[in-house]
Amino acid sequence: MGKNMVFKIIFNIFLLLLIFPLFIILLWSFTKIWPWPDLFPKAFGLRGFQYLLNPSNNSLRILGLSIWLSTVVMFIAILISIPAAKALGLYHFKGKGFIKTLILAPIVVPTVAVTMGIHVSFISVGLANTFWGVVIVHLIPCIPYSVRILTDVFEIMGNSMELQARILGANKMQTFFYVTLPMLAPGLITAGSMVFIVSFSQYFLTFLIGGGKIVTFSMVMFPFIQSGDRMMASVYSMVFIWTTLLILISVERIVKSYYKGENYFYL
Amino acid sequence: MSQIELRNICKKFENKRILHHVNLLVQEGEMISLLGPSGCGKTTTLKIIAGLMEPDAGDILFNDTSILNIPVEKRGAIIVFQDYLLFPHLTVEENIEFGLKMAKVKKSKRREKVREMIDLVQLEGHEKKYPKELSGGQKQRVAIARALAIEPKVLLLDEPFSNLDTRLREIMREFICDIQRKFKITMILVTHDKEEALMTSSKIAVMLDGEIKQFGTPKEIYERPVSSLVADFFGEKNYVDGEIKEGIFYSIMGSFQTGLHKNGRVRAMIRPEEIEITPKGNIAGIIKNKTYAGEKIYYIIDCNGKRLKCITNGKTFYNIGEKINVYINFDNIVFFER
Amino acid sequence: MYNKLKPYIMLTPVLAVISSVFISGLVMGFLQSLGHFSVIGMKQFTFKYYKEVFMDRGFLESLKFSLYISFVSSVTAVIAGALLAYSILQNKHNKGIEQLLYKLPVIVPHSVAALLAYNMLAQSGIASRILYHMGIINAQTDFPSLVFDKNGAGILFAYLWKEIPFVAMVVYAIWRNMNDQLSEAALNLGANKRQVFWHVLLPLAMPTIASTFIIIFAFSFGAFEIPYLLGPTAPKTLPVKAYIEYTNPDLTHRPYTMAINMILTLISLFLLWLYNKAFQLISKYNHESRT
Repeated sequence: MGKNMVFKIIFNIFLLLLIFPLFIILLWSFTKIWPWPDLFPKAFGLRGFQYLLNPSNNSLRILGLSIWLSTVVMFIAILISIPAAKALGLYHFKGKGFIKTLILAPIVVPTVAVTMGIHVSFISVGLANTFWGVVIVHLIPCIPYSVRILTDVFEIMGNSMELQARILGANKMQTFFYVTLPMLAPGLITAGSMVFIVSFSQYFLTFLIGGGKIVTFSMVMFPFIQSGDRMMASVYSMVFIWTTLLILISVERIVKSYYKGENYFYL
Repeated sequence: MSQIELRNICKKFENKRILHHVNLLVQEGEMISLLGPSGCGKTTTLKIIAGLMEPDAGDILFNDTSILNIPVEKRGAIIVFQDYLLFPHLTVEENIEFGLKMAKVKKSKRREKVREMIDLVQLEGHEKKYPKELSGGQKQRVAIARALAIEPKVLLLDEPFSNLDTRLREIMREFICDIQRKFKITMILVTHDKEEALMTSSKIAVMLDGEIKQFGTPKEIYERPVSSLVADFFGEKNYVDGEIKEGIFYSIMGSFQTGLHKNGRVRAMIRPEEIEITPKGNIAGIIKNKTYAGEKIYYIIDCNGKRLKCITNGKTFYNIGEKINVYINFDNIVFFER
Repeated sequence: MYNKLKPYIMLTPVLAVISSVFISGLVMGFLQSLGHFSVIGMKQFTFKYYKEVFMDRGFLESLKFSLYISFVSSVTAVIAGALLAYSILQNKHNKGIEQLLYKLPVIVPHSVAALLAYNMLAQSGIASRILYHMGIINAQTDFPSLVFDKNGAGILFAYLWKEIPFVAMVVYAIWRNMNDQLSEAALNLGANKRQVFWHVLLPLAMPTIASTFIIIFAFSFGAFEIPYLLGPTAPKTLPVKAYIEYTNPDLTHRPYTMAINMILTLISLFLLWLYNKAFQLISKYNHESRT
């Protein structure tokens, strides 16, 4: 009994350390004055949110563009990951191990190095400083997640259900839309969410390849954090987190409304 | 070794009754079976004996001493699990050694015991293998050796043969019986297979819906079941309702002399193998259906509107629609009161 | 013939993206690091930039600092994460808290994690305010500088905030999937709770812990945002140093930058190789893991 108590306390300490800093930025985002060494803000205000909502600062337009960009990345990543994951999950072929490692590599190899290397090529083919250039470069850190998650799903699922559908007379298209896709739905939620998050929170890639022409929400948030402007940084962080959460919930809702399935969120 | 006694064990899960006043007495060195369909509470009983679960009420005694307060790791009631649960990260040797290591037995002693166990379960040459590399039968041998290595007070076997194919099942059954006879280990075998129970155990406890319905020798249970529920568990039966008056059983099939001296409404239980098709039979019938199964033939016979299942050896054939006579010796028939 | 080619055809789109951006990015970087940078007319092949990099004390300091940050944060995250996973296992929690632990660190980006660390640990931050009210310090300046410091305390805090829950969830998933049964078997064989942890739970999770360690090590080794926002002016972590060098307007300096990048990449590829080794260990025990 006593030992369980110890682990309960440990757990609660961890939980506190996880949530307390977030609570602090929530407080900061509504703060007007909060001098040291006060433990609580002296006065609350909405200046940060007013700034963010002011059309002349473009923040909302940029937020919209960021969401659109990450949604495009999500769709492309999922679209090309489904066949790749199926191949890796269900087929045996030469070089499979190597290809799996290659697809996983962008998680491990620093994107900084890759982006700096490709930057010149992007400039020379005219992709630098463009929307599609940023989309393409975002795919690199996203693909490992989407392929990996969907490969797991295909491995668990197997192809017996698809074969059964074919035996029962469904053609390839029907099999895909009536059997494969619904069974894939929970994996699609997880993979899609993950891709969205990875793309949405990219800073360096967008910064370098977008060249200041393509500005995302992560990028407008960055200088506030860098300059230590706590109140503004907290406002942007809060908006960032809530936007991500809302998008995740809508992805889940949309997919679920088409296909009933359980969401299992794993990495 | 110990004598094991369960007294009035009760267990509920989320208000669902799992065990209901279970009483059981296993003598030292005895091997009994806990027989019942899946979900009847057998495994829960084992877990309670082992200490992996606590009963809501009741007591467990080893050699007349309550052991309810002894934690699982000190209790010495070792389960051989259905799926063996060998530690995948340990070799055969290390798996067998595990319990001794936990008890901090000296290394030289542990080695000796592991050797002995490897010999006993005939796994020479497999010591360094991982569970993944073993066949089902070998895995089970490791599980048994692992349990025996720590000299348990009682060995609890949870459906030990259900993951093995038919031939291997027989071999392992023999093997476990040998070990039991050799070491006189108190054993409780949990199974849903009636033949397994009948062939291995000196006593069988039939468990249905969390209650022990009958506890007795295989012969008692088979020949004198206390209820049709227990009887059904030992294979398909024919039941004929009727009435006994002054030793005569009156039913739709006719009236027959019995050895009984009671009166009242009864249900006769007639085993398919007790029905003999013979010209000297005492009941007339028509063959309605026939299923050929090699050494046996199953017939359905209509006797005055009552359909009876009948098993014969495959020597004589009767055709569907053929008129025959059957003989039933009502002296040996079990009657349940209705 | 078609059937043999089919998996390759299915993989083509993904591989096309990876090779046209990822691989060619690395190849371009490599060529430039050798001094072959045709855009500005450099066409030689030489190792002199690598030599230069390794002669530079600043680079060696950065390498040391990067390795230090990654090593300390990953080791701590793995130990604390395993501890957290075990305490979740010991207390039956509702699904909501598991979900929270899963999702929060994933949703919060590195830049915001840096802000969290700054808010907590800066001299004007919450920790210093709390210490003041406890009477331990009297002025902001009494509080040790834990951000922009040479020990990288702020960077470590930010990484740990993201990584501990991640490790915990991966390890917890392994233990939960074991379904209590192996633990029960161990208890039944006479192991006490502590022995179950050290002899069963931990060894079984070890390959997964190892591969998770490598992933977070490699990730923090190559990441830019957190050390850029919270790191000291010197030493800088390698990715930050590479970026600073990259912004040098003198393009003939580029090969030097790319040499740093290639060294960074090489170390990561070595980690990837280790990761694969860890994965082979996992399949030896034949249970699944998802990292």
